[in-house]
Amino acid sequence: MSSLRASVRPVVQAAKAASYRSRAPANAYATLREIESRLKSIKNIEKITNTMKIVASTKLSRAQRAMFDSRAYGETSDEIFKKAETVPATEGNKLIIVSSSDKGLCGGIHSQISKAVRARLALEPDADLVILGDKAKIQLARTYASNIVLSFNQIGKEIPTFAEAQSIADQIFKLGKKYDSIEIFYNRFKSGISFEPTSVPAFTEESLQTSPNFSAYDIEEDLAQDLTEFALANAIFWALAEGHACEQSARRSAMDNASKNAGDMIGRYSILYNRTRQAVITNELVDIITGASSLQ
Amino acid sequence: MSALRLATRSVLRSRQLAAPWRGSFRGYAEVPSDRIRLNLTLPHQSIYKDVDVVQVNLPATTGDLGVLANHVPTVEQLRPGVIDVVEESGATKQFFVSGGFATVQPGSLLSINAIEAFPVEDFSPEAIRAQLAEAQKNATSGSEIDQVEAKIELEVLEALAAVAK
Repeated sequence: MSSLRASVRPVVQAAKAASYRSRAPANAYATLREIESRLKSIKNIEKITNTMKIVASTKLSRAQRAMFDSRAYGETSDEIFKKAETVPATEGNKLIIVSSSDKGLCGGIHSQISKAVRARLALEPDADLVILGDKAKIQLARTYASNIVLSFNQIGKEIPTFAEAQSIADQIFKLGKKYDSIEIFYNRFKSGISFEPTSVPAFTEESLQTSPNFSAYDIEEDLAQDLTEFALANAIFWALAEGHACEQSARRSAMDNASKNAGDMIGRYSILYNRTRQAVITNELVDIITGASSLQ
Repeated sequence: MSALRLATRSVLRSRQLAAPWRGSFRGYAEVPSDRIRLNLTLPHQSIYKDVDVVQVNLPATTGDLGVLANHVPTVEQLRPGVIDVVEESGATKQFFVSGGFATVQPGSLLSINAIEAFPVEDFSPEAIRAQLAEAQKNATSGSEIDQVEAKIELEVLEALAAVAK
């Protein structure tokens, strides 16, 4: 008697469950397909971010070497201004040069430098902007579009050459506007995992000639202008080289994090996929068995 | 155990001291009185960095000048020509430069920023002749900018041809 009831109960329950499942067996299959395609795409993403990380590390080693050479070059160029104790002018036309690049996926590089420039522009809203790199241009054009006088792209693909820095300096001089103080904003390479937005002044002819220690030097009249123009190109070159190294290191850590996250997601989705797959199989089995036992 | 920790800590500290700051920790040790400290740097390479040498001859736009210890501080623009460096060992190295700036700082420090500099031996006369012909052609045809660029190229190549053997 109890065995009869026991046998009836599972059938009733199965029938109830079957009627519920018959309403939505397709759902379970669709979910399984969805999970499968997500899993495949995450695996692809992990491969891509992994490759990008490796590319960034190789580029980083080269970029770092170029950066050290450019530091030696830039510091040599700075010597005279340091020894002459030149100070930048505080009034007059101001030019801000922002060194960034065109490509993204490099962590906070572009947003940090844009933040630093915005903070400066809040204090000096009339400064002119020359932007090297599309990413910074996009960020700064949102609020300071009227300040931008010149912008360059195709920056950051390879290690910067002096020819690039020279042509940028040349274009700035071709603008024809006389600037009383020039400042270059760039990301300074502190270590393989950290960088810092910094600014350095590029001195003008007048600030050099009015330096406290300038009289110590035996220098011809018209050389001061050539010297400061040359020094501007040197400073731009240095900023570009350091920015490039910072970008590669930031991209490497960003892609490293992305690969790790993708790996975590792959693990989670694999488990979910297997569980769903087993659930689907179990449901099918229950359907079959219910159907078979109801026939009996 | 404590000795090990002491050793690692002193190593860390000495590494921190050696780390360069942006202010260019240029060994403030005095330059020997008969030497000049030379920094000859290019954008992609430092040929000499804080090296004490005896004498440096520079091709300046105002004329050739030789820089010895205790030279008066001066700034010179370089024309295409040869820089001679007489090192402490007595050997003389020659580099052909296309241009740049040389500054003698107070304290017997010579800073040279050159765009390109190569040892004179590295040039091949045939290549110089071929480029000279090309530049001479361009100097008389093409747009104004091209002509000016070709004239500058000619200036460098002629100086180079005079030096390379």
